[in-house]
Amino acid sequence: MASKFDLFDKDFDWRSKQVEWPVTTPTSQGLSGVIASETKVAWANPNTGELFYRGIPVQELADSATFEEVAYLLVEGKHWTKYPEEFQSFCFRLHRVRQMPVEILNLIAAQPADTHPTRLLRAAVSALGCFDIIPHDNLKAHHHWEDVWIISQVEALVGHIARYRKGLKPLISDFRQSLAKDLLYMILNTRPTKEQVKLLNLLWILYADHGLDAPTFTGLVVGSTKADPYYNIVAGLGALRGPLIGGAAERVIRMFIRLRDANVARAWTEGMLAKGYIIPGFGHRVFRQPDPRVEIMRKYLPEFAKDPEQRLLLEVATSIEDTASFYLNPKGIYVNINFYSAVLFHFLGAEPEMIPCFYAVGRMAGLIARVREYLKNNRLYRPREKYTGKTDRTYITMEER
Amino acid sequence: MRPIREMMEQTYDRGLENLIAGETGISKIDGDNGKLWYRGYTIEDLAEHGSFDEVSYLLIHGELPTASQYERWRKDMENWHEPPEEAMAVIKTLPDDTHALMLYRTMLSVAACHIPQGENTRLDAQWRRPAGILGWCSTLAAATICHILGKEFNPFNPGQSFSANFLTQALGREPTEYEIKAFDVCMIVQAEHGLQASALAALTVISTGADLGSAVLAGMGAVSGNLHGGAIKKAFLNLLELKSVDEAKAWVNVKLNEGYRFPGFGHPIYKTHDPRTKILEPYAKKLLENKGEELLWDIYQTVRDGIESKLGEKEIFITVYGVTGLIYHALEIPVGSFPIIFALANQTGWMAHCLEYLSEGKMIEPGAIYTG
Repeated sequence: MASKFDLFDKDFDWRSKQVEWPVTTPTSQGLSGVIASETKVAWANPNTGELFYRGIPVQELADSATFEEVAYLLVEGKHWTKYPEEFQSFCFRLHRVRQMPVEILNLIAAQPADTHPTRLLRAAVSALGCFDIIPHDNLKAHHHWEDVWIISQVEALVGHIARYRKGLKPLISDFRQSLAKDLLYMILNTRPTKEQVKLLNLLWILYADHGLDAPTFTGLVVGSTKADPYYNIVAGLGALRGPLIGGAAERVIRMFIRLRDANVARAWTEGMLAKGYIIPGFGHRVFRQPDPRVEIMRKYLPEFAKDPEQRLLLEVATSIEDTASFYLNPKGIYVNINFYSAVLFHFLGAEPEMIPCFYAVGRMAGLIARVREYLKNNRLYRPREKYTGKTDRTYITMEER
Repeated sequence: MRPIREMMEQTYDRGLENLIAGETGISKIDGDNGKLWYRGYTIEDLAEHGSFDEVSYLLIHGELPTASQYERWRKDMENWHEPPEEAMAVIKTLPDDTHALMLYRTMLSVAACHIPQGENTRLDAQWRRPAGILGWCSTLAAATICHILGKEFNPFNPGQSFSANFLTQALGREPTEYEIKAFDVCMIVQAEHGLQASALAALTVISTGADLGSAVLAGMGAVSGNLHGGAIKKAFLNLLELKSVDEAKAWVNVKLNEGYRFPGFGHPIYKTHDPRTKILEPYAKKLLENKGEELLWDIYQTVRDGIESKLGEKEIFITVYGVTGLIYHALEIPVGSFPIIFALANQTGWMAHCLEYLSEGKMIEPGAIYTG
């Protein structure tokens, strides 16, 4: 007997004690309404806008936890305070693998400095896989999902890429430091403040998991073939940076920088809305109310807008939000995570192009959690299509065409 | 794939099995009768009369090319036969024992740092990309195989077909006419196969507004997996270990009793013979005979018949993954590189799906049911 779900019913909250496969659901474009997996990793309540990682409200985690703790929670499904020794060993495994082979640093340096950093990151991850996957075991390479080191390897690579773009010399990652501290040290070239470390942890926590959005779903599809994590991430980075998703934050910050003035921003926003254009950084597939992650970020904005330049940027952002919200909120469209995360990443010293790379580090935690979960009860993804094209044709020679 | 316009209720299984994800005009697969069409032409017809240079155009643009379209398509691919130096150079810096597909993946991802106007993802820019991707990929795939074989890399020859050039560069020697035809048929029959995992990964990436090259890299990730392209290698290695027909018979029986899942056998869609294997088998047989490896062909037949006679009633038959290895082996392509050839051919279909989706497709974002 198939389980039947009416996923377009506003009150259905995508939870069920168990799922009897096959399932029957209403399906629509872009696979919306399609159930692609069962999960215990995270849940977003579409009716209230609350978000939970392993049952814990994300607000609670964002205010007090570190990224390592949340990564452990997502990946292992256990609370770090209950398994202190295991958590310590998790951190140890995570932190000790950040030294990159010199060939990787050379590879980065051999590409033009204006290459989009997500492309550099993809090339570097691909090359790193050649060093890390033990030869001749590729038939079992998906077992590498048991390792978590890809999170910190991505972090280290992002640091190296940021330094290369700034013309700074490579720096060896400090294996005793947390991921956030290490990365900030790499990009700022000086010791980061406590607040900066906290902010980066917070942003990574908020970006760690977001259901089966395009990058994570790409990861599940590739993972379902039993590919190793490096193939998986090479694949997912293409989606993560897509202009409609991670690339949006990049566009948002460019827009803020270009507008430079709160009044100009207001006029620009009104002009865009009048023409029926989409404002970058607005709208969400599931939430029809404020995104909880945005509300968390909002608290930290004033604290980090220190110099006049930063305050101006924040004014521009607020002006766009206020103007657009007036028209869009009644339609259920609110600012999304990319809007203010762009501001905060900018305050941390990240260039606009680097933002998707930063976001990728956080997302690794959710990706590993979801792929591992799927592999425990794996089924290769293989949907079908309905053929509506031409039929009964026979080959004719080129002269007769 | 084009989206289905109206919301519809569907029943499907895990892995989205039996879900109709959208409409397509690219290929039709009749799993019950073992038939495959590209753009309305049977695969048998195209394999017999067509070339990969034509069929790749057909898949992407929807029609077989006229003489002038063909000329332009070939010229476009030729103009892109020389990938960036940095991509060619990276192979020398990676460990010697790296898997072939990883070497290839890394060369491609380095090449993707040098795509002219790579960030331009307007429709017209995306439509200009397939010939360039096929051109670069052909040279990079050949360079990977040539590197593994330790041969000298032959220069590109503009007058030759896609397959002739690829084999000359990959093998470091002049291939025979028959070898070229056999390889070309391999490329044609593997160029497209609906919404398999690799195509779905590519489609998901393109749906975010990313460039076509990024989508192809995503498809390749899926090919690396043991359950997709990896099966080609595993199926062939199983055959290679058997030394006689008798041993093959005994091995099949033992494995059947163990309930072993034979790689290269059984397809989620074909409930009968995979039409692609029927096309390829005569080529495999003749190539092996030419090389004096009739025994390997006999072992293959023994294994195939042994398994099909027992599992045929469960709709498990030899698939394309089970037979292509014989052809690659006869062409002297190293075992580790088998998935590269599959990816090289199959990416044509991924690109066709991506371009079909781009004009009206929404971002792909399915859901998960929370059971925690």
